[in-house]
Formats: sequence, structure tokens, C-alpha cells
Amino acid sequence: MDFDLENPLTNFDDRFPDKTFLFLVESDHMPSEKYLAGLRSVGCSDDLSVRRDIVSLISQLCCNLDPTLSYLAINYVDRFLSSHKLQRPKPWVLRLLAVSCVALAAKMLKTEISLADVQSDGGGFIFDAHSIQRMELLVLGTLQWRMRSITPFCFISFFVSLLKLRDPPLRQAIRARASEIILKAQNDIKLLEFKPSITAASALLRASQELCPLQFATFKSDISSCSFVNKDILLHCYNEMQDAATEGFESALDVHSSSDTPINVLDHHFSCSDSEMTNVAASTVRSQRSLKRRKTQ
Amino acid sequence: MEKYEKLEKVGEGTYGKVYKAKDKATGQLVALKKTRLEMDEEGVPPTALREVSLLQLLSQSLYVVRLLSVEHVDGGSKRKAAAAAAAEGGGGEAHGGGAVGGGKPMLYLVFEYLDTDLKKFIDSHRKGPNPRPVPAATVQNFLYQLLKGVAHCHSHGVLHRDLKPQNLLVDKEKGILKIADLGLGRAFTVPLKSYTHEVVTLWYRAPEVLLGSAHYSIGVDMWSVGCIFAEMVRRQALFPGDSEFQQLLHIFRLLGTPTEKQWPGVTTLRDWHVYPQWEPQNLARAVPSLGPDGVDLLSKMLKYDPAERISAKAALDHPFFDSLDKSQF
Repeated sequence: MDFDLENPLTNFDDRFPDKTFLFLVESDHMPSEKYLAGLRSVGCSDDLSVRRDIVSLISQLCCNLDPTLSYLAINYVDRFLSSHKLQRPKPWVLRLLAVSCVALAAKMLKTEISLADVQSDGGGFIFDAHSIQRMELLVLGTLQWRMRSITPFCFISFFVSLLKLRDPPLRQAIRARASEIILKAQNDIKLLEFKPSITAASALLRASQELCPLQFATFKSDISSCSFVNKDILLHCYNEMQDAATEGFESALDVHSSSDTPINVLDHHFSCSDSEMTNVAASTVRSQRSLKRRKTQ
Repeated sequence: MEKYEKLEKVGEGTYGKVYKAKDKATGQLVALKKTRLEMDEEGVPPTALREVSLLQLLSQSLYVVRLLSVEHVDGGSKRKAAAAAAAEGGGGEAHGGGAVGGGKPMLYLVFEYLDTDLKKFIDSHRKGPNPRPVPAATVQNFLYQLLKGVAHCHSHGVLHRDLKPQNLLVDKEKGILKIADLGLGRAFTVPLKSYTHEVVTLWYRAPEVLLGSAHYSIGVDMWSVGCIFAEMVRRQALFPGDSEFQQLLHIFRLLGTPTEKQWPGVTTLRDWHVYPQWEPQNLARAVPSLGPDGVDLLSKMLKYDPAERISAKAALDHPFFDSLDKSQF
């Protein structure tokens, strides 16, 4: 038996002896309450615009890369900003933070890109290695080197296993669609307060409602009866997730109309027909798989 | 690092010195481990990043020593480096090569402190004023906690590769055992000698490692667990070899010289030689106070073919633990 030591997106699988572990530690990898309250507060839109600018920068920097890379980088940013409030930051500070978080995420995901590659988006400032290194260390110190973020992706396999799905193509399609919704949900500040496991479970329910509505009721009861899931919170998240889910599914072309949603490369991914979308996400999943396979050889 | 007051050097981890220290603000005792952080032109090295973050995640388990904090000391800053050197105790032993405070970036890993380790615990039962067997219930309990920790690491794709009683920390009062010295296997290569040129112990090393196998897996840790299990029962090491060759002979004398039939491919391993042909002895005689379930579990941990060796997860369900109250874990 070989190992996937390098996969930072820890996953449930058959070898997992202690399913409670990820549920116990997932909250350590979330933005703080205070930060989220700041994003939501009406009078204080500074925090929101800082986040929106950085998310947008990260999307530019990652535009041709695996979407989980930008997801991880944005998770780092949210957790960093939870401890460091940036008061009217200069544009170069935001860009340095974005570049550093992308660099860290790329290292964690073993994506072979250099700092020069990361910064080749034509977005202005090019930072030297020393500046990026210092910023990396600041981020690492703030996050206490907890860079193996527990994200919703960690929980997909676990929840899918609860859904007794016998049809492999359908299972694959639901996973793929749920992954898209999770990526999308990161842009919606209403959804940031939910634990990664709840986000994953809700995204799977959203996906199954779209793809196999007849089985939806059964899936909902399968997932809500899981002892790690608070049913009320799950339903709350599921309802809040409607926007993230429908945006990608139906009105992909008018992403700019949603004022809270930063322009994001993911939106471009979703600007295509439904079947293509499924393919995009499915190929993402496939490429992760093949990456895994290569490592284990 | 000014936050901590260094009290004494408590050990020689495989990757550097370990100090007992006190958090000046809270009075909490901690273990400080120092490693060098080699920067390259791409910033923080990916291996260090992945491994320290892995350690950070794994140490959230109850059965792994908790990593409380990770402190980076910038080599460029004279003041900080000097403070760190002071925290070192001024032994002049900084292994950075250059002058103390000369500025190699360092990483301090701050762990929770436990008062003893399994080696000292076993020693205290073998010698001293009150020699006595380790109670059977304690053996069972400690082995269960060890397997929990090993299963946790393995499920995350992490091999410990150097499990030994010195690396298992014990809280005597609470009856808790936790795995330490974990995970820094890739970024910080396993040295043959520790920094004080103490020879790294071979007693717990699996035969496939001793025979130079290029590929090894969870079996290496399970072999070590078996040796540790036997040592708790015997109060002395099962295979106390003082060289790789002697280590193999110790193993072969008890378990018999391995054959191709028992362990397909063994004779093609890099360091395989022709050995005396020993017949397997009765394992129960090596651990006389252990009951049949215990001997059965031990024999499954000490299978020659690594593929046949029991996994930590399966071992947790072995009948040996039927009498254990698992609700406490």
C-alpha cells in the first residue's frame, strides 16, 4: 500500500479509523467570527472591498490553474485577514498578500510554478523573492503553519458514501457539481460562516436536487441523520446556498449583476452550457485523481 | 522566542536538540525543538511547508504530542537570533555551522511537555528501588493508545519510521501515552547519527529496512509497535542489536531465518546475505507473562512479510483488547 503523503486536502477514505477527527478540527481552518461580522456589516464596507480586491487578484493570478489552488489561497487570505485588519491598504500590499498566498497554496498542492510564473499576469508590481518570502512567513506565522486547510472538499467523499449511490456516472456527476458549487460558494460572504462539512453537505444536496430530484428527499434524510451534522444548520446553509448554486447553473452570463460577487475566474468557467460545466468539474476531479495515481507509482 | 525560558536539555531528537522550557507568560511547561529552515529562491521550501503543516494537523489528535506553536526566527535579525542563541543556553553548540547569532533562519516547534517517556517508564519498573512488572492493564492500555496514534498517522499517509519507547511520551498520573518526534521525515532526512553522534537505535527497525528494501510502508511502524509491545511485557528490549548485522541475527534467532516461502522476494533484497539457518522459536517463551491473545497479536505484528503484517486499524479490533474499556478513548 502506498500513500498520498502530499495531498494537503485530507480526505476520508476506507483507511480512516477515526471519522470524528476532521469534524473536530475543521473549525481551526475557518475565518473568525469577528472578521465575518466585519464583512457583513453595512456601514463598514472597507473589509468587504479589501476581500473583494484580493479575491479578484487571486483569480487573475490563478486563471489557468486548478481552481482548488485559488480556493486554498483565498482560504489563507480569509484566515490571515481574521487576525490582521488592513486599514486602507495600498494596492501593492494587497497584491503582495495575494501573490504570497498563491505561492503558498501552489507549494502545498505541489503545483510546479515559479514565483515569476505566478506574477506573469501583467497586473503591475513584480515582487522580488525576498519580499514574497517575508510575506509568506508573516502569513505562516499568523496561520500558525496550519496550511493543510480542512476545506469542504475534504468531506465530499464521506458524505457521498452516505448516499448509497449505485450508479457511478451519477455519483461522479453529483461530486463534480457539488465541487463547482463549493468553489462558487467561497465568493458569497453569507456562506463563509458555515463549517466546511456543512458547506460540503449542502452543496451535495444542491447538486442532487439538480441532477436527481426524485432521490433528493432520501439524500436529505441520509445526510441529516449523520451524527456529525446539525440538521437545522444544514438546512439554513442549504437555503443560503441557493444563489451560489443557481448562479452557476442558470444565469452564468450575468455574474456582473451580483454586486457582492467579485469577478472571478470561476465565473468564466461557468459561462458555458450545463454539460460543459459538468465536464470542467469532472475533468478537475479526474486530473486530481491522475495526479494522485502518478504520485503513488 | 523571548516568550520561553529554557530550563534544561531533555533530549536529543533525531532532528536536533530538545529543551524543556517554560512559557514566561503562563508558566506552562513546553518542549522546544529547533530545526533549520533553509530558504531558497522560491521562498519557504515546499517540503518544510508541507511537513510542518502536516505535523500541525496530525498533532490535533489526542494520541500525538500537541504542537502548540511554530515560531520562526529570522536569521537576518541579529537581535532575535541573539535572543534565540541565549535561549539555547549558550553551549556554543549551535549546529548552524556559523557563529552563534550569525543568522540562519530557524524554526522552533513548541510542543506540550509530558513528564516522562515510555523508556524511562519501563526502566523504572525494571530497576530502581521497586522493580515490578508493568501491570497487564497498563500494557494493554498503552498499546491501544499507541495503535490509535499510529492508525491516525497512517490514515493521513504518514509513516513515523522511528517509533521507539523514547519517542512515546507518557503522563503517568493520567495514564496517557502520546507519539512524539513525528513526521519530519522528508524535509529533514533521517540521519544515521544524531547530532551528538549517538548511534540511532536499531532495536525497533523492521527487517525490510535492515535488509535495504527500497520500498517500505506501514509495516515498518507495525514492526516497531510489536517490539515496543514485547518490551513493555519483558521490561527489556526484544531485539537489542548493536549493528545492522547483529540486529538481523537477533531477529532471526527468535523468529527463524526468513525463507522465500514465508517472505517472497527476501533473498533479492539489497543487503541480503547468506545467514545461518535458525528455526523459529516459540514466541510465547520470549514474553512469558503474556496471554495467548497477546501472543497472537504480537506474532501478527512480527510477520516477516510486510504485506502480511497486521495494520494498526485491524490491531485495534484484535481480541487482545476485548477486555479493555474502549469508551474511555
